[in-house]
Amino acid sequence: MKSKYLLFLCVCVSVLLLACKPRSEGTDDTADVTLQRTNQPVTISFWHTFNADETVTLEQALKDFKQAYPHITVALQQVPFSDALNKYKTVAQAGQAPDVFRSEIAWTTELASLGYLMSLDAFLDEEAQQDYLPAALRYAKYKGHVWGVPQVTDCLALFYNKDKVGAPPKTLDELVTIGKQLTSPGVQYGFFYRGDPYWFTPFVWAFGGELIDSESLQVEIAEPPAVQALQFLKDLRETHQIVPQSVDFANDYDNMMIGFKNGEYAMILNGPWSTADALSGPEFKNPDNLGITRIPAGPGGYGSPTGGHNYVISADTQKLFAAWELVNFLSRPEYQAQFALKNNLLPTRQSTYALPEVKANRIIQDFKYVLDAANTRPVIPQSGALFIDLKPAYQAALLGEKNPQAALDEVKKAWQNLLETD
Amino acid sequence: MLKVKKSTPYFFLLPGLSMMLLLVFVPLIMGVNFSFQNITQRNAYPRTFRVTERVSEDTVKITTQSEAAQVKYVGLDNYRKVFQSQSFWKVFGQTLIWTFFNVFFHFVLGLGLALILNQHLRLKGLWRALLLIPWAVPSYITAFSWRWLFNGDYGLFNHILAGLGLDRISWLSDAFWSMFAVVTTNIWLGVPFMMITLLGGLQGIPDELYEAAQIDGASKWRQFWSVTLPMLKPVAMVTVLLGIVWTFNMFNIIYLVTQDNPHTDILATFAFKAFFVRGEYGLACAYAVVILVILALFSLLYLRMSKDNQVSA
Repeated sequence: MKSKYLLFLCVCVSVLLLACKPRSEGTDDTADVTLQRTNQPVTISFWHTFNADETVTLEQALKDFKQAYPHITVALQQVPFSDALNKYKTVAQAGQAPDVFRSEIAWTTELASLGYLMSLDAFLDEEAQQDYLPAALRYAKYKGHVWGVPQVTDCLALFYNKDKVGAPPKTLDELVTIGKQLTSPGVQYGFFYRGDPYWFTPFVWAFGGELIDSESLQVEIAEPPAVQALQFLKDLRETHQIVPQSVDFANDYDNMMIGFKNGEYAMILNGPWSTADALSGPEFKNPDNLGITRIPAGPGGYGSPTGGHNYVISADTQKLFAAWELVNFLSRPEYQAQFALKNNLLPTRQSTYALPEVKANRIIQDFKYVLDAANTRPVIPQSGALFIDLKPAYQAALLGEKNPQAALDEVKKAWQNLLETD
Repeated sequence: MLKVKKSTPYFFLLPGLSMMLLLVFVPLIMGVNFSFQNITQRNAYPRTFRVTERVSEDTVKITTQSEAAQVKYVGLDNYRKVFQSQSFWKVFGQTLIWTFFNVFFHFVLGLGLALILNQHLRLKGLWRALLLIPWAVPSYITAFSWRWLFNGDYGLFNHILAGLGLDRISWLSDAFWSMFAVVTTNIWLGVPFMMITLLGGLQGIPDELYEAAQIDGASKWRQFWSVTLPMLKPVAMVTVLLGIVWTFNMFNIIYLVTQDNPHTDILATFAFKAFFVRGEYGLACAYAVVILVILALFSLLYLRMSKDNQVSA
C-alpha cells in the first residue's frame, strides 16, 4: 500500500517539475532562407476590422483579385476592432497568425517589436514608398524597416451642423462664444467631447503641448500646455456650460453620434470613419449640412491625431508572395479610391488623391485639409499602450476627482516606466 | 456480494482525475510558477526579427534574427508589486463592497421570494416562471439592457430625473453610482438562482415541524426563526459560499455594464487587465494567486464556522 502512495507522489512531483521548467526556448542566432515565387494554389487567411459597409467594398475588390490571381483564395475573417490586437497576439504567440492582418497604426510597431511581423522591405522599396503620404508611412516603419502598407489614414476633425453653426469657429475662444450661443441646457448644446483620451489629444497640441517628444522621447504630458488643455475641457463643462453636465464614458461615443445626428449637439469631434453614420441622421438628410473642418486652433495652432491602419504580413507566413500580392492589389489607387468614395476612408497614396473622382469628393477634400495640419505621435512600440494609463487619469480629472496637474503627473510617471521597457 | 479488486475503483476514477489534472492542476501550478517569474508578453517567447530582401523578381531572402526567451525567477518581486501598488488596496476594497452587497441582496431578496413562493399561491407556476426570467435571459442581454437604462444622456433613469426637474446622474462614470449600477445589475441577475435553491431547501423542511411548533403555540415569526432558518441553514450556507466565490471572481457583468472603469474594477478585472491589456503575465498570475489564497482562506474559515454550529438533527 505504501509503495502505491509513493508512486502517486512521484507522479505528482514529476508533473510539478515538468510544469515548472522555466521557459528558455530558442537561442540567439541568425538564419537565412530564400523564398521562390510559385503559382501553386494557396489560401491566404486575412483578418480585418472593417465594418459591415466597408466589408462590402472589400469583398468586391476581392472578386477582382480572384480574377487576376486565380490560384490565390482569400479566407476572410472579420474581428471586432476592440479585441483584434489581443486576439492577434494570442494566435501569433502560438505561431498561428493569419497571413494578412489589418493592423491599427499604433499596433504595427508593437507587433513588429514583438517579432510577429514580416518586414516588407523586399516589396515596398524606396521608390514605391514615394507615393505614400509621409505621415502615414511613418507609422509603418520601425528600426529602419517597413512592416506594413498604409491602408487608410485618418484624423479627428470638427464636425458641425451648418444650419445651426453657420461659419465654424476658427479658434478655441470662438468655440466658446459660438458654443454659448447654441446652448440651451437640456435641449441643445454647442459642443460635446468624449471621455476617451484620444479625443483629448487635439487640445494638448492646440495649447502647444506634446504627449511625448518624438526626438528625445521626453514625456511632456504633465507640462503646462497639456494641463491648460485639460483645464480648458473642464471649463467647457463647469464654467461655460456648453456641453452636457452629466457624463457617461461607457456610452459617450454612441451618445455623441445620436445627439449630433438629431441636432442636440451642434459640434463634435470625429474621424472619417464616422461620416457615413453622421449622414444617416435626420439633421443631415441634406448632406451639405454636414460641415467638416479643422478643430479650432489654440495658442499652439491646430491639433489633431493622425491615425489609420496598415496591412501587415505575419512573420510565420509560409505564403509570403501570395500574401504580398493580396496586400499590393488592395493598395492599388483604384481600390483605395473605392474605399474613399463608398466609405469615406482617407487614402494613403498621392496617386489616389490625384484621381479625378477622389478630387471631386467634397468630404475627402475637407478631410485632406484637416489632415494637412494633423500631428503625429512618436513611433514607438509603446504608442498603443500610452492610452491605457492616460484614460483613467484623464477621466478622473474630468470627474473632478483629481486636479489636472496631479492627474497628468501620474500619467507622466506611468509613461516613464513604460518607456523603460524595451 | 460482488468481489472487486482493490484497484478497480481507481481505474474508474482515472478519466476524471486525468481531466482534472490536465485542465485544473497543471494550469494552476503553471500560474503559480509564473507568478515568481519576470514573464511578460515581451520575453515569454523567443523573439524573431525577420527582414526581407529582394534577390530577383521571383526570389526573396528572409534573414531571421532570433532572440531566446529570457524568463527568470524574480522571487517575490511580483507580489511586492501587487501589495505596494495603491490601486491594489482600492480595488480590494471595491471587491469586498461588490461581493458583500451582491451576496447580501441575493440572499435577502432570494429568501423573501422563496418564502412567498412556498406559500399556497394561485398560479404559482406562473410566478415562478416569471421570477426566473432574469436568469433565463442571456446575461449579456440583461447587462446591455441595464446599461441602456443607466445611459447618461438617453437612459430611462436620467429621463425620469430630468422630468422631475432633478440633476442628471453620471450613472456609469461617477465613483459611487457606477458601483451602484453594476451591483444593481448583478443583483437582478443573481436573485433567481438564490431563490430557486432556497425554495428547494424550504420544500425539504417537513411539515411536521411546523405542526409541532403550532401546537407549542409558536407565532409565524417564531416559526421562521426557530424552524425555517435552522433547517434551511445547510442549503443556505452552501449557496452563500458559492455566491461569494462566484461574485468575487465575477467579470463579465462589470465589463459589459461600465466597461473599463477604475471605479468598478475588482481583483478579477484587474488581473485580466494586467494579463491581456498590459501583457504583464507574471504580475497577473501573482494577482490570481492572491485571489486564490483569499478565497481559499475564506472558504476554510467559513466551512469551519458552519460546521461548528450545525443543526443537531
